Amino acid sequence: MHIQELILRLQRFWADRGCLVGQPYDLEKGAGTMNPLTFFGALGAKPWNVAYVEPSRRPADGRYGENPFRVYKHLQFQVILKPSPAKVQDMYIESLEALGIDLSKHDLRFEEDNWESPSLGAWGVGWQVVLDGMEISQFTYFQQVGGLDCRPVSAELTYGIERICMFLGGYDNMFDLVYGEVKTDDGIFPVTYGQMRQREEFELSAYSFDHADLDLHRTLFEAFEKEGWRLLKDHGHFLSAYEQALKMSHTFNVLDARGAVSTTERPGIIKRVRDMACACAKAYLEHEEGSSTACADGTDSKSKLQGGAK
Amino acid sequence: MSATKTFLLELHCEEIPARFLGSLAQDFQSAFQNWCHQHHVGYLQEGEVQPEPECFYSPRKLAWRYRGLMAIQSDQTETQVGPPQRMCVDESGKPTIQGEKFAEKWGVPFSAVRFEQPAGKKEPCAVVTVTKAGRPTVELLQEALPGLIKGLHVPKAMRWGHSEFEFVRPIRNILCLFGEQVVPITVDGVTATNTTWGHRLHHRQHPEAVKVATPEAYEAALETAGVVVSVDVRRARIAQQLDHLAAEAGGRVVADAELLDTLAEIVEFPKIVRGDFPAAFLELPKEVLVTSLREHQKSFCIEKPDGTDLLPFFLTAANRMDDPAGFVKAGNEWVLKARLYDARFFFAEDRKLPLAGRTEKLKALTFQRELGSYFDKTERVAQLVETLAGRLSQDAAHRARAVQAARLAKCDLRTLMVGEFPELQGIMGGEYLKREGAHEEVWKAVKEHYQPAGADDAIPGTPMGCLLSLCDKLDTVAGCFSVGLIPSGSKDPLALRRAGQGIVRILWERGWALTPADLAAAALGAVGAKATKPAAETTEALLAFFKDRVGYQLELAGYAGSVRRSALAAGWADLADLRARCEALSAFAEDARFASLAQSAKRIGNILKDETADGGFDEGLLAQAEEKVLAQQLAKVEAVADQKALLAALADLAAPLEAFFNAVMVKCEDAALRAARLSLLHRLRQAFLRVADFSLWQ
Repeated sequence: MHIQELILRLQRFWADRGCLVGQPYDLEKGAGTMNPLTFFGALGAKPWNVAYVEPSRRPADGRYGENPFRVYKHLQFQVILKPSPAKVQDMYIESLEALGIDLSKHDLRFEEDNWESPSLGAWGVGWQVVLDGMEISQFTYFQQVGGLDCRPVSAELTYGIERICMFLGGYDNMFDLVYGEVKTDDGIFPVTYGQMRQREEFELSAYSFDHADLDLHRTLFEAFEKEGWRLLKDHGHFLSAYEQALKMSHTFNVLDARGAVSTTERPGIIKRVRDMACACAKAYLEHEEGSSTACADGTDSKSKLQGGAK
Repeated sequence: MSATKTFLLELHCEEIPARFLGSLAQDFQSAFQNWCHQHHVGYLQEGEVQPEPECFYSPRKLAWRYRGLMAIQSDQTETQVGPPQRMCVDESGKPTIQGEKFAEKWGVPFSAVRFEQPAGKKEPCAVVTVTKAGRPTVELLQEALPGLIKGLHVPKAMRWGHSEFEFVRPIRNILCLFGEQVVPITVDGVTATNTTWGHRLHHRQHPEAVKVATPEAYEAALETAGVVVSVDVRRARIAQQLDHLAAEAGGRVVADAELLDTLAEIVEFPKIVRGDFPAAFLELPKEVLVTSLREHQKSFCIEKPDGTDLLPFFLTAANRMDDPAGFVKAGNEWVLKARLYDARFFFAEDRKLPLAGRTEKLKALTFQRELGSYFDKTERVAQLVETLAGRLSQDAAHRARAVQAARLAKCDLRTLMVGEFPELQGIMGGEYLKREGAHEEVWKAVKEHYQPAGADDAIPGTPMGCLLSLCDKLDTVAGCFSVGLIPSGSKDPLALRRAGQGIVRILWERGWALTPADLAAAALGAVGAKATKPAAETTEALLAFFKDRVGYQLELAGYAGSVRRSALAAGWADLADLRARCEALSAFAEDARFASLAQSAKRIGNILKDETADGGFDEGLLAQAEEKVLAQQLAKVEAVADQKALLAALADLAAPLEAFFNAVMVKCEDAALRAARLSLLHRLRQAFLRVADFSLWQ
């Protein structure tokens, strides 16, 4: 199956089950969880179902486009269901069937894998979903986001798009995957993932391992941090401040990939990102409480808000 | 007397982490048995043997079954205390209104009221004995079970949906039967029925729930629905399939009891699938393949029947009955190939730089805040190795190689492979050095230097490996002690006791003439100014620590308590000597004369407690026959050098000693005689202490 087709099917499937189809957030980030649609969406009492693709950057995973399985940037398909439905596992399994996976012939397991994002102050419990021995999804019941208890609890499903495509097509190299077909007056031209992305993988890997200016990144980290706190403290703006936290996180990841962060420094730097993310989460909830927008079920969101800072 | 029934409870959840299943099953079992006991819910009729409670678990199920539970709770008699006697009967002995009300309250005629003075009361009071008829067990279960379930200890609890209820994973169905009757408990909105769900695949083909008519029919009903609910049955079936498939492939399974347990816990229906991987990957070290397959794919390796090399096959568990389209095999092979590709990438990348080239990079890797980096640790360990090798070997080239191994030992911490598989530390260093053409002693020492990893693990096979392991652990223990990181009670986050045990085991098994006191001094010398605690304090703590470790080593070696206590108290600095004494003592442990010797040793200890006896001893002063005999015997004992002969000679002292204590008054009036007798006893004690402190024999 083409990558594009897989994305379209997942979007259709989850839209039919009552999800908004969201868009990737236009800033570098390590995972779909960092998209405000999830980070803020998982907070508070408002019902919230959303599904979207998120290109996720992990500088340390870069392999210059030479490794057939590992890349600097991969695509996640992210689903948030709040509150977590009673039949959420069944819904997930149906989504696999929508991709053409006949479960009567495959081995499917949910193996414990508890997710934690120290830089977002977030954690949950759940599984990695393993199909015939391959991890194809991460399944998490959010317990805390931004240091705040999730009430109600959201279910987060994350599909590894390239992996699933490779697996379904029996590909041994991610770059051989077909993204989709371009049809013109001159004919039909299949476009591979390699054509679209291999050079990008090479350059971005080279950047994060070899060329990134370390002094610049250290300066940027400090500057983003300062900017974020200014936005929060002087203006009470949590969305623009959160963007600064995302930039801090990515800057840290680049420094880390260059081996410029010592093991002793690391927890301190992560904490600085987390502190800002948590402050944004708190400001968001306070804002939500203040604005008292009506919930979809007609009750006031204020009355349902129970989450408090821990 | 009432009939008995079988009780069955099953919590059907979303997949429960394998590591919690066993403890949750146990936890409920003990809570339930306590509850039965407290609420007089009995088992069977009197005199009958209580059947074992049964527990079952699988990824989505936790279940318990109790056979022979009484259908009706036992009657209970309770004593009720009422108002004082004087208020219940008037002067003529007739009941007062209050007295009658008391009887009425408990439903008995006034004639059944007794007057007794209960504990804690100052005067006799009205007392009745009330018999409470037992209630139907099913009612009691219904009241108690939700609380028992909520009370289960869940190590990593979660919430889901809107609920505030916390459990290990969401509960989606409850099956609860007492005999054929449903116990309709409700937990977090889920009400129990007599149905449950089978395997996911079964469920998708048969949407109806699985009915369990009686508790006894439980396993059979689930097996037809694709679930083998007993973990023991699953484990046995997996083991059998593993052996069969490995033999079919011309090899044998690389045994791993922990992995076998894991596989039994993560599937509901076990099917072992054999897959292949490209033989080219066999160039990777065996340990890398075994670790990669275990950690990433929960798969077993197959080795040649002689246990040398691996064969290019793996065995993994599927959670289903079959592999009709070969997808399970193909999928696992595909993933494994990706994993091994990664491992081969690490292996190739790592070898682009000689291992020694990572020494500088160890500076950025913190060992411990006060003690510095792994580079600092390496320097200290190398210094220790140099010092101790000097005492163990005359061969200068050998000593130089030992120091070289110490300098290389931690370099693999900066390799990609150890970054991916931390459990391969040491092993990778050794494998890389071997391929670089390092001396066999050196690469083997590096490879083995984390051994023994625990009580079940062997010490390194080579002397140099033992020396390196000992020095590495010694630096860790002494270093941590010197900055105040000392294990206490159950707290030992740095596993220093395990490291200490490793040191003692190496000394013990190697028979090296290195004393713990020497080792502590050498290690603290290497730590030098990094220590934050006074050296004397650290040394004292270290010696106490080592003494405990040595005591535990004696226990591991299987010596009896009396042997351990008495031998240890007579000194433990020289482990080879301690071992010889323990061996000798064990040979005499059954000798009845030792009991008498122990008595005498205690008496000697008591007599000498407040005396300052010295060696100045004039045998000529001894007056009585018994003491003269004893003195002669003692002289013989003192002349014996061999431990075994010494013990035989000591045993021969038992009778003369008894005779001595029966006939001789040690603390006599004559000061000179008294001094002579005390000196005799002092010398006796010294003779005993060459082997053991017999006052601790029993």
